[in-house]
This record gives sequence, structure tokens and C-alpha cells, in this order.
Amino acid sequence: MLEVTNLTKAFGSGSNKLQVLKGVDMAITKGEMVALMGPSGCGKSTLLNIIGGLLSADSGEIDLEGRTYGRQKPSDVVDIRRKGVGWIFQDFHLVPSLSAKDNVAMALELCGYKSEEAEERAIYALNEVGLGDRTHHIPDQLSGGQQQRVAIARAIAGKRSILLADEPTGNLDIASGKEIMELFKRLCKDADNPISILMVTHDPDLATQADRMLLLRDGKTFASDIRSAWGIEEEE
Amino acid sequence: MSEETEQKSVESNEIKENGRLGTLIHRVRELPSNYRMAFISSWRNKERGLAVFAGVFLASLVITTVLSYGVGLSQIFLATSLEGEPVDAKIEFDRKPAEGTDGWTNNSTVMMEVCDELVADFVEFTDCALTLGRQGIHGGGFFNQDFIVAQPLEMRSMKANSNPLWEDMRFNYPELEDAGPPISEMRGIRFMGPGAFDGELADRFGANIIDGLGEWPSPETMEEERGLILPSNLVSDARAQVGNKIDSLSFVYVTQTAELGSDSITPENCAGEITSERNEQTYCREEFTVQNLTILGVYDPWDFGNPTLSPNPIFASLTTLSDEQQRLLIDNDHIYLSMTVNRSLIPSSSTTEAAEWLEELGMEVGDREYANGTVEVFYFDIVSGTITFLQIFLGLIQAFDYIIMIPIVVLSIAVLIYGLVLSLEQRRREISIQRVIGADTQRLSGMVLLELSVIAFAGWVVGYLLAMIAVPIVLSAVGFLVFSELTTEVNPALSFAATLFTAFATLGVALLFGRSRTREFIEMEIDEGVRTISKKRPPRRWLHWTMFAIGMLSFTDTALEQNGSEDGLYSNFFLEGLFGIFGPFFLWIGGALLLAWIGAKGPYIMQFIFGKTALLKDVKRGLKGSGSSESINRLSVIMLLTLSIVTLAAVQGYTGTLVDERTADANVGSELQMVMDGPRNQSQVEAVLSEYYPDGEIVAMTVPQILLSPTAGGDSYLTYVLMNNSDEVLRWNEQAIPGEGSDPSIYDGLTFSAGEDAAYALDLWGSGRRSNDAADIVLSASDSRSEIINFTNIDLIPVDTNSSLEERIGILFAYSLAMELDLSGTDLSDQNLSNRDFGRTNFMNTDLSGANLSGANLSESLFIDTDITNTNFSDANLENAIFFDTASILFLPEDATFADVTSKIGLYDFSVTESTDGMTCPNGETAPDANCTTFTQFPELLTPFLFEQADFVITSTQSELRYLGVHTYIPGVPSASMASSLIISEEAWRAFVGDEKADTHNSTTWIFHLPDISGDDLKALASVIEADSRVSSTTDWETAHEAVERDGGLIFGTPGLLSLQFVVASIAAVASAFVFLSLVLTQRQKELAILQAIGASPNQIIRLVLFEILSIVLVSMLLGIILGIGVAFSFNGFFDVFGFIFQIFGGTSTVIERELVYPWAQLGLVTFSVFIAVVLALIVTTRRALSADLASVLKGE
Repeated sequence: MLEVTNLTKAFGSGSNKLQVLKGVDMAITKGEMVALMGPSGCGKSTLLNIIGGLLSADSGEIDLEGRTYGRQKPSDVVDIRRKGVGWIFQDFHLVPSLSAKDNVAMALELCGYKSEEAEERAIYALNEVGLGDRTHHIPDQLSGGQQQRVAIARAIAGKRSILLADEPTGNLDIASGKEIMELFKRLCKDADNPISILMVTHDPDLATQADRMLLLRDGKTFASDIRSAWGIEEEE
Repeated sequence: MSEETEQKSVESNEIKENGRLGTLIHRVRELPSNYRMAFISSWRNKERGLAVFAGVFLASLVITTVLSYGVGLSQIFLATSLEGEPVDAKIEFDRKPAEGTDGWTNNSTVMMEVCDELVADFVEFTDCALTLGRQGIHGGGFFNQDFIVAQPLEMRSMKANSNPLWEDMRFNYPELEDAGPPISEMRGIRFMGPGAFDGELADRFGANIIDGLGEWPSPETMEEERGLILPSNLVSDARAQVGNKIDSLSFVYVTQTAELGSDSITPENCAGEITSERNEQTYCREEFTVQNLTILGVYDPWDFGNPTLSPNPIFASLTTLSDEQQRLLIDNDHIYLSMTVNRSLIPSSSTTEAAEWLEELGMEVGDREYANGTVEVFYFDIVSGTITFLQIFLGLIQAFDYIIMIPIVVLSIAVLIYGLVLSLEQRRREISIQRVIGADTQRLSGMVLLELSVIAFAGWVVGYLLAMIAVPIVLSAVGFLVFSELTTEVNPALSFAATLFTAFATLGVALLFGRSRTREFIEMEIDEGVRTISKKRPPRRWLHWTMFAIGMLSFTDTALEQNGSEDGLYSNFFLEGLFGIFGPFFLWIGGALLLAWIGAKGPYIMQFIFGKTALLKDVKRGLKGSGSSESINRLSVIMLLTLSIVTLAAVQGYTGTLVDERTADANVGSELQMVMDGPRNQSQVEAVLSEYYPDGEIVAMTVPQILLSPTAGGDSYLTYVLMNNSDEVLRWNEQAIPGEGSDPSIYDGLTFSAGEDAAYALDLWGSGRRSNDAADIVLSASDSRSEIINFTNIDLIPVDTNSSLEERIGILFAYSLAMELDLSGTDLSDQNLSNRDFGRTNFMNTDLSGANLSGANLSESLFIDTDITNTNFSDANLENAIFFDTASILFLPEDATFADVTSKIGLYDFSVTESTDGMTCPNGETAPDANCTTFTQFPELLTPFLFEQADFVITSTQSELRYLGVHTYIPGVPSASMASSLIISEEAWRAFVGDEKADTHNSTTWIFHLPDISGDDLKALASVIEADSRVSSTTDWETAHEAVERDGGLIFGTPGLLSLQFVVASIAAVASAFVFLSLVLTQRQKELAILQAIGASPNQIIRLVLFEILSIVLVSMLLGIILGIGVAFSFNGFFDVFGFIFQIFGGTSTVIERELVYPWAQLGLVTFSVFIAVVLALIVTTRRALSADLASVLKGE
């Protein structure tokens, strides 16, 4: 479903040039939850950003359900962000002045849904994440976990095939984090519309709940278990 | 204390000292690099710096301008008021000269030496001229009794064989009665030494010589030709010309002065005329005559100014007088030195300082002795006298101007504070983070303040310098955004203290505010400080509402008063003034704060319009909850404040300019108004004008007047006739005649309009007599309110006489009833009535035998069959008295001719009197030389009835006229009586007087439309024509307009300030839109990145941002304009309060209503520019936000 081929990305220029991704190849299938791990600064977020259409790669290609992109500027891959990927951030990034429902519906409207349909889908999605009774609350009135669930509802409401989650539980307490992971699992295993999740995390516990782990090291990905992902194998 | 511990404490003190000193030295050493760092840091954070810079710059510009404007204004004022009097000081003898006293001389040569000595010794004096003219005052100030005692040399007569008109010339100067203290009411003469005809004095006097009418001559020419320089009105009255010879000129000088009531002056010790005058003094004046003079120049009279020297005198050369005459005049104290002071040396920063400087100069001059110790002088300062008056007036003007500037000062402070808040808010997190890593309070506030001080200092300097450049321009404004070159040099430099004040009010405020904010951040919980959004205090809505309510109260009051209510909401004058002045400001600030709340809701409002369109379909939801942020609210407040000031300034400015123009229109009527010396018809006046103006088109018009009274009974009304070409000639204004329009063709057919009082008396609609009766409309013929009234015109038509002599004599008896005092038939024989005032007294059949009337005033009195046997008339004034003996006509034949009558009337036998020595005869001559044998001067009124072979037949014509409505004035016609007058159409006039009379109508006042000439050419034309002997006076539109601009519709200097407000507020609107938007959008960068991440396209983002911000800006601007109009309207009440005060000083002319003008084009332009600036700022900043690295924006803080 998602196939990344030989993706490279460098920052800076000249002697300061830093080659972050040196030809990443990876693939995710439908309904699969993948944890992307690696030491700080290894390029996890960069890879996620390129897949999510927020950053352009220097070379290489991404194929997401038949849509091919990778080197285009972020402004040219609006379509990917609208229909392909859903984003979930560490600090939620909800619009503070809008209610939970509006936060979700707005994203749908931006993606081209009619107002009524957007609302229906928003309520459906909120129900899906277990916030059916909180649709009219604004983010400030919700707990961190609830806010993140609104963000998830926003990401899944548009029938996107993959969720990109950058440290989704980083700002949450353990219990809330667990709930979010449960939700992720449920979404992946949804019978009607299974969704794929690519998640960057530093938390080995979370990573273990994923279907699979990817280790990003020296600008390349390796399939790995947790220990190798953390680079602690050698030390022991 | 032991020695040891003492030692220790000394040591530790030393260490402390060293430590403190060390820190200080360290700090000083660090300073340059700290400032460098601060500079770099502020450069890096340009946006937040820009906000502070804009605020300080604007505040500095405005405050400096206001202060410096005050300085410049007083300089211009000083210069303008000094223009009225070329002489700056009058140096006289210290004491009244008398035989044998020290310190004076009666040798004019010695006094000329004193002159030279003064100019040589005092750098302050530029010129000096020995002058024989007004007596010494010897006392300070013009509120002093001494001031009104000293008399000028009064003119008595001029004679020229070639020009008999000079003999009829009277030298009374009746205008002096109402101008200043009661000194003398006669035209003065000054004999000036050679010093007046070269150097500075010659320059100053020469400036008023009319072009082409001679010159201010050189000392040599003046002496050789025995020159005279005359004011133009005298020359015009006598139809004289430059070069004409004057055979003799006589004037009087004072030999004795006594208080009224004292009998120290008697005919025995006074060889001249004895008069008691309005200043409660009795004078003995003797006459001098000088011969063989030549008119060398004609000058344009100065406006009345300082009353120290007699205004607009005749100037003659000192050398015209014989040595003996000079000596006598000096002996009688008629001497002074005319001084000019180097005016550029007078401190101009304030009038107080100038007054002190002048006082010091006076003391210095007075303390010294001159001519080797033989002369002591008293310095009478004319400039400081002018300044005293000026200070009062200037104080009022400045108060007015400062109040007008309050909005813009408030605005600039608001921009400053908001700029600071926004810019410091960005540092809140930074400060908290610095605290986390251990920075101390001092270091933190130092860091913030250093950066602030660098930016604020730059803003202050730039604003200050720009203000210095701007002030001369502001001062040169003659109308709203209309500037003309300044005639006087201004140097509006601020004093050191004032400069410090501007620095404090801008830099100081910025630093103090910055310090307290930084403290607040430092005292804040770190946790709170680090948060991305700080807690907001809820706005104090109740305060906004209260201010707004007070403002609305004053607004309603003004509105009620303008719509006919007598008192409005309150009648107490104190409340009226208080609300009048402060109401508009409360309305403005309260309104801005409240409306900003609506303005910030702009997106909601605009969604009603655009909600369903493709523009918003997909981004509508994103707009929910927008406008709640504080910065958006502030943007709205600033837009409201600026746009309302722009509107206020434009509305009041254009209104003022228009009021000025309309006032000039109303005063002159058209381009030129001429008053002829006698009635002329149209072709005659056109001929006179075309002599001077041969090429251009001339359309002449006059406004005939007749008396109409309702046939049904009632008072008669002065009625003006609007000629058919009045729409072509006169400059109309909709306020003038009924209806909203200004087309005089509404006077169609047999119609009339009435002034408000006349309408009231005639009980017509529109007089305010009935309720709902104030509309300014033209009543149509079918309107029931348009009444038809039958009027009668009574005219006197001369026909051949058939009345008998007795009937004519009867008129004389009728005339006796018009006398002011009736002593007819009383027995006053042997009474002592010497020196009594019996002007216009009826002495019919009075017994005056043996009475003593010596020195009495009997002018214009009536003596019919009065017994004057042995009456003493010595030195009595019988000028224009009428003598008549009814017995004399008994011997006339039945069909007496004119000659028969005149041979009898007016002759009187004065030989029966005791004395007529020195008596002024009825014909104006002095007995006994002429023996009073010539014909009695009969009053002009009676002459035709008594002596002409015609009678006047009263004819009355009647006509029905239809009422049109209430008029206010006719342009060019004095408006004082307009309210109680009628205006009729030419057709109606012809119905009354007949075509024949109408076609040959004569008038002295003519109004000309001269479409091909304007500006300075028109002024020059008017002044040349005025010197023509057939023309008494001219008024041209340009001169009238200039006079009005200076002190007319708007108060002195206001157009400049309003222009400044307009320009500054416009710039502030554009600039703050830019600054605030870039700050707001920088704050929103992250939000925009999120939207993109969840699928928004750049197009959607731009639409969203543009719509949101633009609708806030647009709604705020529209609300700002509405608020501005409200405030401008409300300010009219304020103008009324000050207008009242200024009217006391300035006198009134036609009062043009301040009907507000709405300059939509200019407002539209500013609104459009602001809008474009906002769109540009938005596109630039939004594009920057869009091109930013989304990933890092999302990740970063």
C-alpha cells in the first residue's frame, strides 16, 4: 500500500551539508501498524514529514495507493495530505477556538466535503474514537488524551489510508497513552476499513504493541526488534 | 570599638568601594558592546522592533509637532501683529518738559544726536527718527490713566487752490471711537525727521505705499519737496493725486491740559480752542499752519493695532516746520523718537520671554543719560504692549489647538502601548526560559530595556526631526490640505526643557512601560510564562459603555440644538461647556473600544454576505471563533481610532475650508464689490471698471432696496431685490435662500421670501413660530403654506411744487421736533451757560437775551425767532445751526421765488449780540472774520422741501406676492438686517416701481462677476481701483478670503492641525496595518502550518486569512468612518464653545453655519489605501507563512 523507494534527503549545503536520509526503502501494508524508531536526530521525523507531504525529498519516490510523490514541494502535494495521509502530532495541534466536532468537520471541509456530510462524518469519527458525548467541547475543556483522540478523529474522518503519528503519546500520561494505543490497534483491525499507521516513538513499550518495527540508522531503515532499534544490542 | 575591628571595617569598606567601582567600570566598559548587541538583537527581530519604533516614532512626531507648533504659532502671531505698527518703541522725555527742568532740551538737533547715540550704543535698535507728534505718556502700560491723556497733533484743515474739495475735508476719525482707549478722535499728523526716510523705518513705512501712487521718499526729496504722505482714503475723498500741491495745512497742538471740571483753562490764558473730551480732560489747543506742501505718496492704511501712536496719520517732514514751531512743539511735549528694534533679536520661544527681554531693554535705555548728561528719556515700549494683548489671545488659541490635537496624541500613545504590548509579549517566554537557566532579574530587565532603548531612541530622533520639518508646513496651511508660503520666518525650535519633555513622553513612556512589563514577566510563575498563550484579563466593558454614554449625551445635545431645540438636553452653560469639550473625546474613545468588539466580529458579519458563495464554502468553519484573540481586537481598535481621526480631520477640515470660502462669498458676493462715491447706473460702473480692466468679461449687478409693507397693515420691511442675473453674478450657497439648492431662479414671477424675524412677524410658515416648522424648503404654488400677501410700496416722486411757502416753513417746525433737547419758549435770559453742550437743541422762541453762551456747543441747534439780544457767543460753536426769523417772510410776495426765500432764510442779525469773537459760524467759518453773513447750512434732509421748486408726492403701488420660504442672506449684502428683511424677484420689483425706474436704477454699491481674473491679480486690481476718485471702496474676494482664512471660519492655525491629523492618521493607519498584521501573522504561522498538514491548500489558507483579516479591517474601517462622522458632528458643539470665545475677540461677520462637508472622495482614497496596504501586508506575510518549512514550524515552538 505504501512503498518508499530509495528516498534521500540532506539539509544544509557545502561543508555543512548533512545527509539525513541516504536511500530509505520501506513498505507498509494495509491495516499494519509500524513503529519507526531510531536515535535522536537520525531522521525519523524527516522521513515521516516527507511521507506526509510536509517536506520534499531530494531523490527517491513514494507510492501511496497508486499516488506517486516524493520530490514535489509541500504545496504541490495537497492532495496527498487531503486523501492519503492523516497526521497526528505530539501536541495535538487542534484549533483552540473550535469545538471537537468543528475541528474534525473543518478538516473535512478543507478536503472538499460538503458541510452536511462533513458534520455527519465528524460525528461518526468522534463516536469512533469514543468522544460522541464531547462533540461540542473546545480543546481547552478536554483532557490531553481526549484532545489527541479528537486529532485522531480528524485524521481518520477523511477516509485516509495511513496515519502518520509523531510521538502521539509524548505529551500524555501512561493511562491516556495506553488508551490511544488501544484506539490505534482497533483502527488497524477495523473490519470495514482497516487503516495503516506509521508511528514515530521513543517508547519501547509502545513499539512493542506495533505489528512491526522499523529501525532508522545511518539514513537507512532496517527491520528490527526493539533492542536493535534502540542501538543497545552492542552494549550488552 | 577596638582598633582592630575599626581597621577591618575600613578595609571591608574599601573592598566594597572597589567592588562597586569595579562593577561600575565593568559596566561602562561593557556598555558599547551591550548596545551593539542590543542593536543587533533588535535588527534580528525586526517585526517586534518595528512595532515599538512605529509607536515611539508616531508619538514623538505628534508630541513634538504639537509643542513646536505652539512656538511657531506664537512667532507668526507676534510677527503678524507687529506688522500693524512700523514703530517698535516711543522714546520720550523722562518728565514733562518745562522751563528750567533738567534732563530735556528743546533743541531738535540735540535730540537727533540722542537718536544717533541710541542706535550706536544699542545693538537692539536698528533705526531712529526724531518725530513731532503725540505727546509724552511718561507712564507704563495702556491700562494707565496717563496713556489716554497725551494727545497727538490733530489735523484741522488742508487747502489747495487747485482742489476745492480739500476745504470740505473733515479730519474726524470716527472709527477711533470704537477702537481702543479714548485718546483722540481726530486724524493725526506726524512730522518726522530724516531718520524716518532711510534705513529700517523707511523700509517698514514704504511697504504700505500703494503701487504706482508715489513712494516713501528719500530724506532729501522729503525736505526739498516739503512732502506729505497720505492715507489712501483721504486722497480718494479729495480726488487728489500724487504730485498735487497743498497750499496750506493746519493742525493743532496741546498747550494746556486740565482735568474735566477744573477751571484752570480759561479763554484768558488759552489763545486757542478749549475743548472737553471723552477722556475726561479739557485741552487748550493752538493752531499751526504750514504752507506749500506736495503729496509724495499714498499709503494703504494699516489695520488698527496698538493704540500708542495715532493710527494712519498724515506724514510730513520735520523740516517743514520753522525752528520756532519745532521749539514750541517740543516745549509742549509733542516730541518723541520713533525707534525700530531688531525684531530678530526678540526671543521668540515664548511671548513671556519676549516681554521680559523688551522690559529689560527699556530699563537699560531709561537708566542712561544722553547728550552728555543733558537728556533723560522714558522708553515706551509698543511691542510689549502688543504682546500683552497677544498673550491672552494666543493662550486661548493654543488651548483650542491643543485640545484639537488630543485625539492624535491619544492615538499615537495607543499605537505606542499596543506596539509595546505586542513586542514584549513575544519576549514573555524568552524571559521565563532565561530564568529557568538562571538569569537574574537585573540582567533580564537590562536585556529588554537595552533593546527597547535602542529602538525607542531611534524612533524618537526620527520623529523629532520629522516634526521639525513638518511644523513650518503645518503653519503655512491656509485651508485643509491647502498651503501657501509663509510670509514670516519661523524657527519653531523647542527649548531644552520641551525637548526633554518630548523624550520623556515617548522614550520615557516606552522604557517605563517596558520595565514594568518585564517585571511582571519576571514575577510571573515560570510555568505560566512558558505557556504559549497567556491568560487574558477580561476587558472593562462597563468603563467603555460609560464613556460612550457620556459621549452620546453630548452628541444628542448637539444634534438637538442643530435641529432647532433651544437648549438641547441641558441648559446650564457650565454643563454645556463641559460636555461640549469633553463629550466628543468620550464618544471617540468609548465608541472605538466598543465598536472594536464589533469590528473583531467582522468575519461573522461578512459571512452573512459571503457565507454561501464558493469563496467561503470550504473554509467557513475555520472562521468560527476567530476575532477572539487580543491582537485581532487591538488591530480593530487601531483601525477604528485611525480611521475615525482621518474622518474627523477630513470632515472638519473640509468643512472649515468651505466655511472660509462661503464666508468670503457671503461677504463679497462675487469676485469684486465696489462702493461708488455716489449713485451710478450699470453702464457707468462698468465703464469705470473697464478703464482698469479692459480685456476681461465684466458682469455687474446691484441689489436694489425698497420698502414694502403689508397692505393689510403692519410694519414696513426693508426689501432686497434679486435681479435676474443674480445667479450668474453672485456666489450662492444653499444656506442663503429657501430650499436645499442654491438656485435663485426659484424667485420666479411675483414671489418673495422672508428672513426668519420677518416671517415671524408676518406669521408665515418657516419662522419657527409653529411646531414642526423649521424645514429649509421652497414652497410650491400649490402648497397651502405658501401664502399670498398683498404688499404696498410707498415711493416719493418729485413733482412740480404747488405748496405754499407757509407749508414749507411748516416743515421747519416739524424738524424742530427732531431736536435732542427742547428748550423752546423757555426764559434763559442772563443765565451763565458758558461751555455747555447744547448740540441739536430746539431754541424756538427762547429768550437768550443777556445769556452767556461763550464756549458752548450749539452746533446743529435750531434758532427760530430766538431772542439773542446781548447774548455772549464768543468761542461758541454754532456750526450747522439754523437761524430763522419768521417775521422776515411776512414781507415776501405771495408767489415768492426760490431766490426770495433764500435771501431771507438763514440770515440773522448778530450785531445785537454782546460778542461773537471766536465764534464758529453756522457755515463753519470763524467770526468775526466772516461775520456770519453767509447762508445757513440747512440739513440735507430739509433742503429739498425748503428750497427746491418741487414737492414729493407719495405714490403707493400694490402687488400680490407669493411666499417662497425663509431666506438667510444674499451674497455680498450685509447680513445684519437680513433676518428682518424680505427678498423679492426682479419681476416683483418692476411691478412696484415700474420698468422705467427699474431700467435707470442707480446704486452706489455694485457687485461684479469677473470670471477671467482671480488671485493676486484680482487683489491688485481692487487696490488700484480703490484709489480712483470715483470709487469710495472696493472689496475683492481674494482679500476677503485671506482675511477669513487667517481668523475666520476656522480658528487660526486649525486647518494646519487638521491637515496634520489627517496625514498622520492616514500614515498611522497604513503603517500600523502593516506592523500589526505582520506581528499577528507571525503568531499564527503555526496555526497555518497545521491547517496545511490536515489538508488545506495554499489557496484555501490565503482565502481563509484574507477573508478573516480583511473583514475585520473592513468592518473596523467602516465603523471608524461612522464613528469619525459622529465625532466630527459632536465636535461642532466644541467649535461652538470656542467660536463664542473667539467672537468676543474677533467681531462677527456673516455667520456661516458649520454644515458638515463629507469629503467622500478623500475618505474613500484613504480607506482604499489602507485597504490596499492591508492586502499587501497580508499577501506578503501569508506567503511567507506558506513558504515556511512546514515541518519545522510544526515541530518548533
